[in-house]
Amino acid sequence: MKLPEHNNLEAIICRDVTKQFYVYSHRTVSLREWFIRSIKRRPIHERHAEFSLKGFNLQVQRGESVALIGPNGCGKTTVLRLIAGIYEPTFGSIYTYGRVTAVIELGAGFNEELTGAENIELYGAIMGLSRSQRDRHRDDITEFSEIGDFIKMPVKYYSSGMIARLAFSVAVNLEPDILLMDEVLAVGDQAFQNKCVKRLKAFHEGGGTLLAVSHSLSQVAQLCSRVVWLDEGKIHMSGDAESVLDAYKSSAGKHTTEQEEEV
Amino acid sequence: MNQTEFSYPPEMKTDSESRAPFRRNNISVLAELWQYRELLRSLVIRDLKVKYQRSLLGLIWTLLNPLMTVAILITVFSYFMRIHIGHYWVFLISGFFVWNFISQVLSSTTFLLSNHVSLSRSVYFPREILVLSAAFSRLVEFLFEITIVLVVLFVFHYSQVPFSLILLPFLILIQVAMAVGMMFPCAVISVLFYDFKHALPILITSLFYLTPVFYHASMIPEGVRTFFYLNPFTGLLSLYHTVLYEAAWPSIMLLCSVSVAAAGILVVGYRVFRKYKGVCVEIA
Repeated sequence: MKLPEHNNLEAIICRDVTKQFYVYSHRTVSLREWFIRSIKRRPIHERHAEFSLKGFNLQVQRGESVALIGPNGCGKTTVLRLIAGIYEPTFGSIYTYGRVTAVIELGAGFNEELTGAENIELYGAIMGLSRSQRDRHRDDITEFSEIGDFIKMPVKYYSSGMIARLAFSVAVNLEPDILLMDEVLAVGDQAFQNKCVKRLKAFHEGGGTLLAVSHSLSQVAQLCSRVVWLDEGKIHMSGDAESVLDAYKSSAGKHTTEQEEEV
Repeated sequence: MNQTEFSYPPEMKTDSESRAPFRRNNISVLAELWQYRELLRSLVIRDLKVKYQRSLLGLIWTLLNPLMTVAILITVFSYFMRIHIGHYWVFLISGFFVWNFISQVLSSTTFLLSNHVSLSRSVYFPREILVLSAAFSRLVEFLFEITIVLVVLFVFHYSQVPFSLILLPFLILIQVAMAVGMMFPCAVISVLFYDFKHALPILITSLFYLTPVFYHASMIPEGVRTFFYLNPFTGLLSLYHTVLYEAAWPSIMLLCSVSVAAAGILVVGYRVFRKYKGVCVEIA
């Protein structure tokens, strides 16, 4: 494959990416319905297309840390899923350079019946790591998560905070080149959150590329040098963290500011 | 919001490069699956562990359940409704576990994709792995079962080692190809049509009677036998009966046609899966 004028600087390139979801009036149809409709040559699913992203363009340099902000439902998570390859773009193309790890839902790959240690193994495999790589990281992960002896217990006996801490530890300790994070920084108590932010900073300083979605503007300001503000599937504003955050705060109005003060 | 109606299926225009990250380098599906073999292995081990680790008898359960059915079938068909097949129990166990494998992998497809939806919406991995892991964890159990069957046959039935047994690995290969080829479309259809979840058990039960599991393929009336062979499992079960029960070489004609059918099912089934797997992740 010919890489588009790649000069070893970009980590992520999104070109005119459009993602269309179909909203079905009924998610699935009955066979009877399907039969009648196919005889009458009517469309089988009553549905209309809903655009999640329209002509989205984004280039992230290697070693950059970028945040996506915007109101709920503006397409932030969709962007992460597209870059991670979970969804296919309807139009446009996406290129990534390096190993991508997406943390979209904490603990999604965990199996309740298995122990923490076994789940670390499984998660590493899901991320596509070989066994020697996983062996190398196992102790780091266990130590970082601070769950101690619980690592030998089935995950179903964990508190939700413990699951989240374990999942977060797995994601950041597996040494991805590109880390995609969706709203997962609100993990654990304050001390653990600080530790996470510190770990992510170290990841960034070590040359890792970070693309994060967050509603916590203070964390965004702490972590990211560039902020992209999405609104209704389009880039509303993009630039250095300070100016975009200021504009976002003043536009979102008093409500957001209050929330921010609480955080 | 766009209110236009679209015809089904969605015509997704995608550049060939803009697929999942690991496929952007034009690596074929097989190479990608090979890359993820560790995941496949872990999922199979997880399936088996979760299923058996807390039960006392462990893998014995996999045997006990079909053995009960086998015992009932032997009793019914050797004493109540007599089927005139010599050594009926040998005949039955030489095919029953194959049928058991097929019916279990097919019924596992109903919730396969929807059970893993939170995983597949948060991590990229080839979705084929989900189907393959379900098939392979059943295959491990099947291999265990068939080993027991062979041991029993050697102890109680065979007077000498039948030469036809060298075909057994090939038969298992055909069986897995056929099963996986059926699982692919079943998995996506269960997501796209809810009715399928109710229809599938009925379909499997009917197939049990329409496939020569407890009767011999030669007992099917001449006139309709061709129709029975349209069911690919008829050919497969006949092959097993010939190789294990009769301990004879099957006809090359049958062997070839079943192999071709299995390959065809795998290719067509996979194409259906590949076409709809993206949509399935979104709507499951």
